[in-house]
Amino acid sequence: MASRDQALSLLAAANTHSDLAVKLSSLKQAKDILLSVEPSLAAELFPYLAELQFSPENLVRKMLVKIIEEIGLKAMEHCSVLIPVLLAFMKDTDPLVARQSIISCTHIFCAVLEEMALQFRRRGKVEHGLEELWLWMIKFKDAVFAIAMEPGYVGTKLLSLKFLETYILLFTDDTNDSDKLVAEGNRQLFNVSWLVGGHPVLDPVALMSDADRTLGILLDFLQSPSNLPGSLTIVVVNCLAAIARKRPLHYGTVLSALLDFSPNFEAVKVCHTASILYSLRTAFLGFLRCTHPVIFESRDRLLRALRAMNAGDAADQVIRQVDKMIKNNERASRESRFSRDDQLSSQLPVSGDQLRKRSVSLDTEELANGHEVSSKRICYGPNISSTVPIQINDSEEESVSVNGHLPKNPPPLSRSGNLPVSRPIGPVSSPAQVVVTSAPTNSFSPVPTAHVPFSATNGLSLSDTSTANNSPADAKRDPRRDPRRLDPRRAASSVGVPSIPITDDAGAMEPEFDGSISLSKPLSLPVVTSVESPALPMSNSETDDKAIENPLVPESDQVSLKEKIFSKPEDAVPSSEVKTSSDHGLSPPHTVDEDSVASKLSDVEVTFEAHTSAFMELDQHSPAVSNTSIPEETCQDLPQLPIYIELTEEQQRNVRKLAVERIIESYKPLPGTDYSWTRMALLARLVAQIDADDDIVVMLQNHIVLDYQLQKGHELVLHILYHLHSLVTLDSAGSSSYASALYEKFLLVVAKSLLDTFPASDKSFSRLLGEVPVLPESALTLLDDLCYRDVLDSHGKEVRDGERVTQGLGAVWGLILGRPNNRQACLDIALKCAVHSQDDIRAKAIRLVANKLYQLNYIADNIEQFATKMILSAVDQRTSDTELSQSGSTDQREGEVGSQETSVSGSQLSDTGNCETNTARGAQGVVQSASTMSLSEAQRLVSLFFALCTQKPTLLQLVFDIYGRAPKTVKQAVHRNIPILIRALGSSYSELLRIISDPPEGCENLLMLVLQKLTQETMPSADLIATVKHLYETKLKDATILIPILSSLSKNEVLPIFPRLVGLPIEKFQMALAHILQGSAHTGPALTPAEVLVAIHDISPEKDGLALKKITDACSACFEQRTVFTQQVLAKALNQMVDQTPLPLLFMRTVIQAVDAFPTLVDFVMELLSKLVSRQVWKMPKLWVGFLKCVSQTRPHSFRVLLQLPPPLLESALNKHANLRGPLATYASQPSIKTSLPRSTLAVLGLLNDSQTQQHVTSLHPSETSSSVHGANLT
Amino acid sequence: MKFRYAMVCSSNQNRSMEAHSLLKRQGFDVSSYGTGSHVKLPGPSLREPNVYDFGTPYKQMFDDLRRKDPDLYKRNGILPMLKRNSSVKLAPQRWQENAADGSFDVVLSFEEKVFDMVIEDLHNRDQALMKSVLVINLEVKDNHEEAAIGGRLALDLCQEIEAVESWEDSIDEIIAAFETKHRRKLLYSISFY
Repeated sequence: MASRDQALSLLAAANTHSDLAVKLSSLKQAKDILLSVEPSLAAELFPYLAELQFSPENLVRKMLVKIIEEIGLKAMEHCSVLIPVLLAFMKDTDPLVARQSIISCTHIFCAVLEEMALQFRRRGKVEHGLEELWLWMIKFKDAVFAIAMEPGYVGTKLLSLKFLETYILLFTDDTNDSDKLVAEGNRQLFNVSWLVGGHPVLDPVALMSDADRTLGILLDFLQSPSNLPGSLTIVVVNCLAAIARKRPLHYGTVLSALLDFSPNFEAVKVCHTASILYSLRTAFLGFLRCTHPVIFESRDRLLRALRAMNAGDAADQVIRQVDKMIKNNERASRESRFSRDDQLSSQLPVSGDQLRKRSVSLDTEELANGHEVSSKRICYGPNISSTVPIQINDSEEESVSVNGHLPKNPPPLSRSGNLPVSRPIGPVSSPAQVVVTSAPTNSFSPVPTAHVPFSATNGLSLSDTSTANNSPADAKRDPRRDPRRLDPRRAASSVGVPSIPITDDAGAMEPEFDGSISLSKPLSLPVVTSVESPALPMSNSETDDKAIENPLVPESDQVSLKEKIFSKPEDAVPSSEVKTSSDHGLSPPHTVDEDSVASKLSDVEVTFEAHTSAFMELDQHSPAVSNTSIPEETCQDLPQLPIYIELTEEQQRNVRKLAVERIIESYKPLPGTDYSWTRMALLARLVAQIDADDDIVVMLQNHIVLDYQLQKGHELVLHILYHLHSLVTLDSAGSSSYASALYEKFLLVVAKSLLDTFPASDKSFSRLLGEVPVLPESALTLLDDLCYRDVLDSHGKEVRDGERVTQGLGAVWGLILGRPNNRQACLDIALKCAVHSQDDIRAKAIRLVANKLYQLNYIADNIEQFATKMILSAVDQRTSDTELSQSGSTDQREGEVGSQETSVSGSQLSDTGNCETNTARGAQGVVQSASTMSLSEAQRLVSLFFALCTQKPTLLQLVFDIYGRAPKTVKQAVHRNIPILIRALGSSYSELLRIISDPPEGCENLLMLVLQKLTQETMPSADLIATVKHLYETKLKDATILIPILSSLSKNEVLPIFPRLVGLPIEKFQMALAHILQGSAHTGPALTPAEVLVAIHDISPEKDGLALKKITDACSACFEQRTVFTQQVLAKALNQMVDQTPLPLLFMRTVIQAVDAFPTLVDFVMELLSKLVSRQVWKMPKLWVGFLKCVSQTRPHSFRVLLQLPPPLLESALNKHANLRGPLATYASQPSIKTSLPRSTLAVLGLLNDSQTQQHVTSLHPSETSSSVHGANLT
Repeated sequence: MKFRYAMVCSSNQNRSMEAHSLLKRQGFDVSSYGTGSHVKLPGPSLREPNVYDFGTPYKQMFDDLRRKDPDLYKRNGILPMLKRNSSVKLAPQRWQENAADGSFDVVLSFEEKVFDMVIEDLHNRDQALMKSVLVINLEVKDNHEEAAIGGRLALDLCQEIEAVESWEDSIDEIIAAFETKHRRKLLYSISFY
């Protein structure tokens, strides 16, 4: 009362006080009070609050709107009084107030809808207050629509448009909208699909058609854009786009409207045209981002439209982004899966069955309800069908396949019709908690036999529940990963103690119950019944605290219970079908005909009701009472028992098929729940239990592929496979082989259809193989085919495209990472491809093996061995495909491989007995292949090894080792690979240095190649130079290896080894010469060309032990390069040499060659000759001959030099070259010259009278002269 | 000041910060963001940009770059820019992660790509508040000179918007007037929080 008075005075102050600040703060305080008191009490004050609407202050009014919203959301039933205020405010003079009231009303509108739907679902009716409020909401809606249509403030109109959008979204069925969650965040908004089951106030059909009309209103705006402000048009476009994206149902309509939208902008003055067009562009791009199939289909239209508005690039970019996103998602899911696998495997040994199951059920439940799991006590008593039909004791095994329920310790079986097992012990001062899992929805199944294994061990269930509570973390884990999660027996095994036996009839049972209660022993009865359908997680998730919590408020229990039941009719239906379809050939209760199924379906709700009321009673009555009452109620509509109808095989099959089909088709989730899980589990069991014949498999397969992209298909497949797998691993004999056959068949069918249906870039196939519980041999064969086999027959039909191989290899990679058990087999596939004869496939596989797989230390050895073996087989000319035999594959595989071998399998590799017998053939094979092994074949065998070398350079040692004995083609292949390898190694070739420093025999060519490549593009490192020099000095005296590094050596380093270089074969010397002259960027050439010439001449044949021929060849090689050894170079070199003492042996020869090559050098040569004269060249016999020859060749230029010779020497010269005499005499007889010549010279020339004698002398030795000249020329 | 403004460019360094700094000095309630996935600053070559995460303080980037090559980054204006930025706020913020900063009335982007991303991001949010937001794109090249000009234009535009009773009613006129006055093209869109 005090608070009421206080609130009244505050409201009064807010109304009448003169100060605005006081008004506002009073109002705020009043609000706090109103929100804190009981809603009914607060409601009394609402009229006073409503009075404030006439406040002249717009701030007060605006605040009032917000307060009404807050109160309205809290005390919905009572606030009908206040809504008219909001409606009035919508026409307020202040647009801010009007806008706020629209916003607030919209919030209330959504909340009211949601509340009405939930209320009906929980209690079966809607409170009157709420109903009244809804009428106001309809008025609000009309008012907003009016605002949207009529002229007014644009800001307000924008909001009204936004409301129209919301309205359409609310009342358009969202059941099939894949990206619902993404698009609307995580809030669970009301949607008209909640009303599918009917509603007393809300008529879904009317509302939906109203939504369609509303969409029409929005679309109409686009008809007359010229009358609208641009902002309005833009908002309309945006709203339409949002609707189309979130409700693909309307996508078609909206898209065509937007595509047709081309306003006549000429007539428009005020609009900002560019922005309106841009909003269209944004809308289209937004559509492109959607992955919903309907929208996906229209990609082309969108692209056309976007290109037309010059947004083609942006569109392409968006498409790329979307594709990338899809890929990333897949990769992310794959990665997370791997990590999860690890986690899981470490935890598997924990006997966490119950924990895990609990977490599963908790998950589902929370998902299902969307809010906290309401507390409730534990007794959902008589659970009729959650039981094994036990009449036939020896049918235990079959009963598994029927109900999916097999207690580990098969308890004594009870025949009692409806065993009462409800025990409201919790509230009855018992410390122990009773956990009763039950599946009430099953109660209308035609199998009313109860089988309730329960344990009466004291305190046991207590401990059970506490363990169940202990690991909230488990809830995080993906339950799918647990192969046992589908094991129906977990429920039973969770009891984990000697089950205590159930009596034969209810009568005998009751006393025991009664007794235990009256004694009030802490007796617990964890009556664990099979959880038929995972969607009935029920009380397993109830925990201690929740269970104790609430004994005083029975109503809430019932409500929550009811709600749960209500929310699951969909599941209940199929589960009942399951029964009917699967119970064939078993125990009594088999009413299997379609009519009865149908009738039961229609009874579902009734049964629910009956059930709930039973529960209500249960809470208040003793177990005994409830025990009896429930069966009566629930069984009223059920057929009498036992009814047994024999069905023909045909009928059975039809019924089965019908059941599966129905489950597949009828899948329509209620909002806020995820029934797909249930459906999957059901289908999984069905496939396992019924003789899934081809029809059903095909049906499922089609469905799965259709659904795959939305990921539900994948989930479903996994469910089925996991379930089958659990049967295989856990079942007793008999069905397991059937299950495993089915497993394999199903997996293959799905895998193949994924391959056929989706493009190679799709990751579904890989994901499937990665996530299934186990991979049978046949799946690996499929993978093998994908990667290898089909490509092999390249001569035959079409060759598989490389993308498929990439896909297959991708899958292989994933499996190697994620499936240790299949690792070897997958690795074999990858390796096989890595030596594939088709280049592109091999390249792909090698990339995978070398870059990815080789990094994994657990298979690196295998890979290395394999690659080594391949390269060795190439070297030893064993072209075989038996590579796999050593890498540990099964015999079977080896056989397969053997069949496709081209030549004899490497008998050395397979250490089996047939080695002997093969030898002869083997030898033959070697011969054959030796002659036939082509370069490409060699290349095929060595590439993998080289790829590994880039990762691990130490392996290169082997290449060097084998090089010597490798056949030519292999060497060629090696040569081809080395450059690539060196490039890949980059500067990190330290390992190479080790090899270089100590190369094995026979690898010189390879070594040269390596050195060449190492030095080709980059400066050789100091290490490399040192290593090579050291090698040259110690082991390998061949100067050839120095050639590549010559360019980096200095003059002082080159000169000592220069004679050795000259000693090399001429082509190598030329190479060396090129390197020397080229030099490095840093130091310039080691020697200039002139220096080279000098160096060549400095070589002394005796001292350096080099044949003179080598030196002359070297000289000739230089002269050949006329562009390098130009006449200036020659002049410089000769000039330098002429001063040397002693003169180089070949000096004159070079002079002659120089003047031959460059006649213009003749003047220079004459100077040289004069110099030689002054150096008394005649004293150097070898040079003297050359000198004379040169003089002879260069006449008449040489006459001047000749005349400088002392007369006796001139005499001998003329004797040797008699043909000089005449011209020289003519030359000398010129008066100007003659006068300058000494007399003795003239005498020699016979220009004096006694020339006779001289002539005689000359004629004596002609032959001698010519021969000696010739010799000089040579030496 | 009636409205809350957000300036958005790609790295929340140059254009948005220039405008942020200017508007802040003029007393606007303004924030700034980038829409890129990382903050990228020019590096020694086109191929080697300096990449930071959003949330890395400007000061830290400043220190980092000064350590790497003080001359280069001083010469190309990066260091001065970072210094200016650190005086405006602590670190670059990412638009897509700004839900906690509350709703804005006007968002100014400086590049069409950024404009698209802002709109797309708003679209993907829970539009429960029903609060309209005006998003305007003003194309500004990403260099210091253009950013300075762009900042002044942004200020002018915001002052125009601030001056009218409600932008919803007059946005077309404001945009048209701005375009004629400055000979710059604008784009706008309207979304909701």
